[in-house]
Amino acid sequence: MVPVIQFKDVVKIYPLKAGDVTALDHISFTVERGEFIAIMGPSGSGKSTLLNMMGCLDTPTTGYIFISGIGVHDMSDVELTNLRRDRIGFIFQYFNLFPLLNIIENVSFPQMLKSQKQVDEKKAIEVLRAVQLEERFYTHTPLELSGGQQQRVAVARALINDPDILLCDEPTGNLDSKTGASIMELMTELHHKGATIIIVTHDPHIAEYSDRIIRIVDGRIAQ
Amino acid sequence: MSTIFWEISKRNIRIHMLRSTLAMLGIIIGVVAIASMGILGNTIVQEVSSSLSSVGDSVIVTPYAGGGGGFGGGGGGSSANLYLTNQNFQQIKRSVAPNVAIPVMSTSAHMKVGVGSDDIVAPIYGLPPDDTQKLLPDLEAGDYSNGNSGCLVGTTFAKDHNIKVGSRISIGQNGEYGALRVTGIIKERGMSFDISTDNALVVTQDWFESSFDRSDDELNEVVVKVTDGDTADVKTTIEKQLNRNTKDKTVSVIDSKATLATIFETFGMVTTFVTAIGGISMIVAGVSIFNIMMMSVNERIKEIGIMRSIGTQKKEVMSMFIFEAAIIGIVGSAIGGMLSILAGYAISSLMFKTTEYLFTVASMLSVAEGVGFGIFICLLCGLYPAWQAANLNPIDALRHE
Repeated sequence: MVPVIQFKDVVKIYPLKAGDVTALDHISFTVERGEFIAIMGPSGSGKSTLLNMMGCLDTPTTGYIFISGIGVHDMSDVELTNLRRDRIGFIFQYFNLFPLLNIIENVSFPQMLKSQKQVDEKKAIEVLRAVQLEERFYTHTPLELSGGQQQRVAVARALINDPDILLCDEPTGNLDSKTGASIMELMTELHHKGATIIIVTHDPHIAEYSDRIIRIVDGRIAQ
Repeated sequence: MSTIFWEISKRNIRIHMLRSTLAMLGIIIGVVAIASMGILGNTIVQEVSSSLSSVGDSVIVTPYAGGGGGFGGGGGGSSANLYLTNQNFQQIKRSVAPNVAIPVMSTSAHMKVGVGSDDIVAPIYGLPPDDTQKLLPDLEAGDYSNGNSGCLVGTTFAKDHNIKVGSRISIGQNGEYGALRVTGIIKERGMSFDISTDNALVVTQDWFESSFDRSDDELNEVVVKVTDGDTADVKTTIEKQLNRNTKDKTVSVIDSKATLATIFETFGMVTTFVTAIGGISMIVAGVSIFNIMMMSVNERIKEIGIMRSIGTQKKEVMSMFIFEAAIIGIVGSAIGGMLSILAGYAISSLMFKTTEYLFTVASMLSVAEGVGFGIFICLLCGLYPAWQAANLNPIDALRHE
């Protein structure tokens, strides 16, 4: 089976006035379908750069990246954007929902981008039920919801286009421990249903939910 | 696809209602300035053209007055002439045939209407009876049967002095030139190049000559009514015939059609200039739109980053901001267009006492130009902010606080 993510000798260098900064230094690893991986490392270790690469938001200076077997290292911006839309679901620390849209519209947004059509409420309601958000909130705006509820909406939005990978950047970082735990239980449930999940975190308790931990230190994989 | 971005644009305008309204206000003022200036200019042109167009087929020949000093008296080919001679008239008549040449004598005189009325000073024109109808084809009342004791009067003159057909006017301070009976009232002609009759009397040439001691060698002007050929050709013919000596000219020739064209061209330039001044307010409004759009982009950098990261194309981000500029432009320009019609109505009513030129093609075109320019400026000023938003680096935008 084709790996969901494959990094081959990836190097990322940021050219700065004060001198080049090597964020990723010859990184190679593979993520198989259905894996639940935690990426850990101290601040400045390169984990955000790694997440950006996996999310096709950035391209490597050298090396190769494959998402579901598709080489992304030489893709155009339009192709990378389509890949993000169709195969990757993003979950952010600060939820990052659109304040001008209601919950249904927020969840449907990536689907509308993909189908180029009006909101398909049926599918949105289906994923909102899957993340266990009460129906009465569906027509509310994000700011009328609690942090935990907003993160559930963000998870639903990430799931709407049936992505190959869920990329989570500190998904519990802005939640209290109880709410954070409930979100991680939701993640675990999604993983058991077959989702490939990659979480970037510096919290060892969160990393415990994963099957495998990739530690990044100074732009290199430490184990 | 566009529906959701259209929806976001609408909601963003609604959520920043005050800011959006102020931006629209700038566009409204700009459109009103451009369109109402255009309406004003067109109304002036139409008003003037309605006064002058009736004389657009005339060539007016007057004694040459330039070059050699003041009035010299007598006819002939002196460097500055007071009158045209009968010989000049005959030459003109022959050279312009089959067009009609009409000799005109004119002066001003004291007169009284009825018994015991105030002394009035008004212009008097002397015309051959056979040519009067050719030069003045429209009467408001009465007829042309003005024998030597009859006269025609202009409509304004008649109204101002309560003159009706049959009224008697004694000419001279003490009636020394005799009395005339009004046989007809000439329809309003407005400003004219040939003779201005609205405030004047028209008498027969014979009466004029005998009363004011003039001969047929003392013509003030000759009016050629051009029915065959072009006025410019007639003018050239007369000049060739009478101004053979370029250093010592006999006549000055005015082509009324060419003069009208020059006047309209000048009015057109004035209208364009005034409209351009109105356009400055639109440019100011455009700067305000640009500023607001840039604010909108800067406030939504993070939102743009989220959109881009979850799969929104650059062109879709761009469309969202273009929609926003378009909404401000279309709504503002439409309101401005409606208000400019009201402003045009008010200006026309107050300045010209008529609104008949308000709904002409030219005036409506000015409104359309104002509205179109308003929308164009909004789109233009929204273009760069939209482009900037679309080209933000998604990673930097996501990190933006």
